[in-house]
Amino acid sequence: MSKPAAATPPSPLRAFWLKWRFHINVLLLLVPLGFMPKYFADAALFRGDTGLGERVVGDVQVGPWSLKLAEFRNEGPRPDPAGPMKSFNAALCATCAEQVKATYLRIGKPRSLRAAGVIFFGTPYRMGAALPIPERTPVDAELWVTMEGWDGTMHQGSVPLSQASPATIAWLNKQGVKP
Amino acid sequence: MTLMRLTRACGVLLLSAGFSTVALAHNPMCECKEIPGEQIQCTGGFSDGSGAPGVTLDVIGYDETILLPGKLGQDSTLTFKKPAAEFYVLFDAGPGHVVEIDQADIQPQ
Repeated sequence: MSKPAAATPPSPLRAFWLKWRFHINVLLLLVPLGFMPKYFADAALFRGDTGLGERVVGDVQVGPWSLKLAEFRNEGPRPDPAGPMKSFNAALCATCAEQVKATYLRIGKPRSLRAAGVIFFGTPYRMGAALPIPERTPVDAELWVTMEGWDGTMHQGSVPLSQASPATIAWLNKQGVKP
Repeated sequence: MTLMRLTRACGVLLLSAGFSTVALAHNPMCECKEIPGEQIQCTGGFSDGSGAPGVTLDVIGYDETILLPGKLGQDSTLTFKKPAAEFYVLFDAGPGHVVEIDQADIQPQ
């Protein structure tokens, strides 16, 4: 024998909500606006409108060839199941695009062509590679670029990691170099 | 009720859109450890969680001679006897898709 609840007048706040809730929802349309600056900045970066990457390192001479190296993002390595990864972009020099078959990137001098590091993929004008950064990387490490030509020749060049990515050095210092 | 469900579905969709960039690449990964009997066991795989059965894993000396050419088994592992000479392990899933593990990085048991 339950009595229906007496109709108490709703509180002013609730009355406001009941009256305007559908109009207020229109404000949700404004939410995406907050994300737009980041969205357009990312879109321009991915498309290459803002250059090769967030921070251009400069030219690296590799034997007779050269490439323009850039950090994709001006930040330390990103975590990955395969360990911390740092993304680099590169563009081959105008004359070497036709001659170079493959470009590799590695921390420290490669032991052999087989172990030359990660390979750059993409067009010669805008290639990308995700480089694993070992936790024990010394802060004075060198970044080695290995290039393999269609004629079978192989050339190597290097750039100090501190020059290639100060953000990675800062990240390593923060981590503390492991023994 | 339907509205609740719709809201939840939208939430899940937004979240997955946010995390989708994390799973773009699948990088090679390899781990080696020493097991009893002077043996070393290496496990290969890719960062998207897939295994690497049949992928080449060579044990190479510091002088670049291949001490033990091998392939990972169906369980993505390979066990071999610890070489006497200085060596490193090369997990080779193709050009530019390699993982090097130096003997110094193999944890003793």
